[in-house]
Amino acid sequence: MTDNLSDLSDSAIQEINKTSSSNELELVRVKYLGKRGSITGALKSLSEIDPKDRPAFGKRINEIKSLIQLKLSEKKASLQKKEINQSIDDKKIDVTLPGRNSFQGHRHPITRTLLEIEEIFYGAGFEVEDGPEIEDEYHNFTALNISDNHPARAMHDTFYFNSEYLLRTHTSPIQIRSMEREGVPIRVIAPGKVYRRDSDITHTPMFHQIEGLVIDKGINFSHLKGILHQFINTFFEDNTEVRFRPSYFPFTEPSAEVDILSKENKWLEILGCGMVHPKVLENLGINTETYSGYAFGMGVERLTMLKYGIKDIRSFYENDLNFLNQF
Amino acid sequence: MKLPVKWINESFKKGYSAVELSDLLTLSGIESEIERKKDEEILDIQLTPNRADCFSYKGIIQEIRALDSSKITNKGLTDPKIHHNEIMDVDVQSPNDSPVFMTRVIRSINQDVKSPSWLINKLDLSGYKSINVIVDIANFVMLETGQPLHTYDLKKINKKIIVRRANEKEAIDILDGNRKLLDSNFLVIADEEKSIGIAGIMGSLDSGISDDTKDIVLESAYFNYETIMGRARSLSLHSEASMRFERGVDPEIQEYAIQRFTNLINEIAGGENGPIHSFISKKDKPKNKFISLRKNKIKQILGITIPNHAIKSILNRLDMEIEEKDSGYTGWKVRAPSYRFDINEECDLIEEISRVYGFDQIPQKIEQQNIALMTKSSRQIKREQIDSVFHGLGYYEVVNYSFISPSMNSLSNSNKDMMDLQNPISIEMSVMRNSLWPGLLNNLSHNIKRQHRNIKIFEVGKRFASDKKVPIEINVISGLIYGQRTMESWSYKAARLDFFDLKGHIQDIFTAFKLKKIKFESSSHPMLCPGVCAEIKLGRKKIGMIGMLNPELSADMKLEHDPFLFELDYEALKLPQLKNYTHQEYHPSSRRDLSFLISHEIEVSQILDKINDLKINELKETVVFDLFPKKDGENTQNSVSIGLIFQAKSRTLKDVEIDQFVAKVIKMLKSDFQIDIK
Repeated sequence: MTDNLSDLSDSAIQEINKTSSSNELELVRVKYLGKRGSITGALKSLSEIDPKDRPAFGKRINEIKSLIQLKLSEKKASLQKKEINQSIDDKKIDVTLPGRNSFQGHRHPITRTLLEIEEIFYGAGFEVEDGPEIEDEYHNFTALNISDNHPARAMHDTFYFNSEYLLRTHTSPIQIRSMEREGVPIRVIAPGKVYRRDSDITHTPMFHQIEGLVIDKGINFSHLKGILHQFINTFFEDNTEVRFRPSYFPFTEPSAEVDILSKENKWLEILGCGMVHPKVLENLGINTETYSGYAFGMGVERLTMLKYGIKDIRSFYENDLNFLNQF
Repeated sequence: MKLPVKWINESFKKGYSAVELSDLLTLSGIESEIERKKDEEILDIQLTPNRADCFSYKGIIQEIRALDSSKITNKGLTDPKIHHNEIMDVDVQSPNDSPVFMTRVIRSINQDVKSPSWLINKLDLSGYKSINVIVDIANFVMLETGQPLHTYDLKKINKKIIVRRANEKEAIDILDGNRKLLDSNFLVIADEEKSIGIAGIMGSLDSGISDDTKDIVLESAYFNYETIMGRARSLSLHSEASMRFERGVDPEIQEYAIQRFTNLINEIAGGENGPIHSFISKKDKPKNKFISLRKNKIKQILGITIPNHAIKSILNRLDMEIEEKDSGYTGWKVRAPSYRFDINEECDLIEEISRVYGFDQIPQKIEQQNIALMTKSSRQIKREQIDSVFHGLGYYEVVNYSFISPSMNSLSNSNKDMMDLQNPISIEMSVMRNSLWPGLLNNLSHNIKRQHRNIKIFEVGKRFASDKKVPIEINVISGLIYGQRTMESWSYKAARLDFFDLKGHIQDIFTAFKLKKIKFESSSHPMLCPGVCAEIKLGRKKIGMIGMLNPELSADMKLEHDPFLFELDYEALKLPQLKNYTHQEYHPSSRRDLSFLISHEIEVSQILDKINDLKINELKETVVFDLFPKKDGENTQNSVSIGLIFQAKSRTLKDVEIDQFVAKVIKMLKSDFQIDIK
């Protein structure tokens, strides 16, 4: 009987050792330890044994059962390890192949600059205003102190539709419309497209400007200098040397052009500004003894070209994807 | 205007370098750059329209003196000899237009004499060609004094000179050989039979001097700048005289200029002088008034207090007359010299003071204001929302011109009138776009030529129309897709972008803006392919179009695929209001699938709408998961599979309930669409 048990134990261990997969191992487990397995059978036959031999026999069977269980779990662990290693080997890929990426879009550099400038001034308390691109003579010229035969009208080559309507030549009419609508004090910037009859390497017949306007009590030229220098430093992300040079615009007085010093040590004109002309304010019924203010206007293309080193203004309107994907 | 540096230095004891002069002038508002010609340095001076006074050698010298407080070495003028008493009769019929009109007859000029080299050289460096001795001296005196002079051949003038407004359609053949038609807006110089010059702009061809002219009439006039302003431009003319007259010439310099010319011509080419005939209308001559200048106003505008002595010194240097009121306690009364047309108000004086004092003397300050902490503006958030959706989907943003060719515009559907430019740059840019699509198609062509094969672009901008001549501007967002859905890859097959890609992108935008009542309804548009075109509606309002480019239009474009286009009303996209969060319990959902055949006449959306009309609250979502055409004898039908997903908010649905819901749907399909479900 004991020999039988020893044979059983030997053959079970032998069979466990021989298995090469979890499935085979399971079959072996069922064969010996399953409901109808040999060891289970042997335990069941305990009742047929002489009662005095039973304890020793029982103990022996349990020892064999533990041994087989141990062998089974050892084998199971080693097989699982082998199988996981196998499946890892099977999963190996060439990680250097391109991924399934999608196209990413890009913002047009002009929009990028426009939004950037809007954000800078919004942070300083400026509201953003819009206005029509098709304007009338009054808002584009007359209200800005540019009379019918004023030589300044020759400075703008204007596109006309008829005697009444034209394409705005600057964003300054938005100043007038904002003040008409909201009165003073006012603190606005007005971005948008403007049009002039001009086309060459430095001019396109359509371009973008941002106009700024502040009217309040106690606003003077030193505030204009302060805010513009701060703006320039923020926009160019650098401490920039700036100079204010006297100039002429019919709707501001004093008027100035602002130049920045380039890396090549050249002064580059970047924007025009000045104290709002009292006639402009008086036309709107604003008391110039109490209120004063400044206005400025800048070319968005020019600022973008300076910031990114773009040479030809026309590249903005070609919309070549190889140009656009750099922004 | 160009002036050689050496010539400028003739007027000063101190020798200025070109750089010193250019900086001095530029930083006070007279932009000047240094040029070089024949080893000489020349200042190229760009004047702003208000600085008429600087449009001469004399003006620039005055300016330098004022800016730098430097001394001018003055050369006096001797009165020329008078040889005879002959005068030309002058009849100024329009004294308001011509308050000063001086003439002198000079006889027996020796035209065989060439201009001396100093004269030719100065003119040349200043950009004037030497023509003959008379013209050269007239040009030189104009350059030197700012007073344009005109010389007529004495024998070509019939009896007398008349200054009058032109008659309607009066023709004149001018010096450059062209014939111009005038009207009463123009002032002319005429004799008894014909006009001999357009005042202040250009003389006539046959009254001018020629090589054999010996006897001349010299004209030195002051014309009202408003009479001249814009007139040359309206005739497409541009002359040195008109540029000066329309900005304003010093009304006190006419006699000086005539004497200077006479001295020079006598010195170089002889000639016998008659007396100056002088017409002056005192009441029509401009005269500057005293303007009050308040110190508190200077402070209000500039933000600084400038000492009295500094203000007075600046005004003195600018040849302004100062009247003291209260020893300068509150301010002064100031009168500008005759050559300053731009000083009429207090703010003009403040500008003069600030630019001479120096903008760099004004400190930079930051306004004190009630600070407001702000996040981004809603306008900016909206734009970023749109951009983030489109950038994520791979769209490049483009910006196109607002004007396009009329033929492109007439393609797009619009009952409204077009906005035509009167003076376009070219026919291709002559009308305001009434759609952004022509621009996008241009961008597509350009980029296909550059070998781009997958193109997704969008633009935010205005389209234009007019209604009863009133312009209309509508903000829209438009886009175009073309090519493959995904990048070419080793791992899957390429698939072409189609209508449903684009529709999905639009739906993504609507999702981002939480817009729900959106419908796509089959429609038509001249630029889009019939049958592949839909109107986009928000509730009942049309807010856009989507579709495939009409093959008639793409035929010439050498395309490999069909492009798809959309346009959406920008204002229809409104930032959603954030609602309060509602807590939702989780209860499992159940799905039932239905497959059936429908006539291809029926749009799937009709069926989905009807299912929605059943108002089954527990129907959470409906998906169309399969759709293919199936031949059934003669007629083709569509096999459609839809999934119905049920979920209740407060309990787990029982199978019995779901079966009832599905039965409702099946019943409706049967009654409304005669669909039998197997």
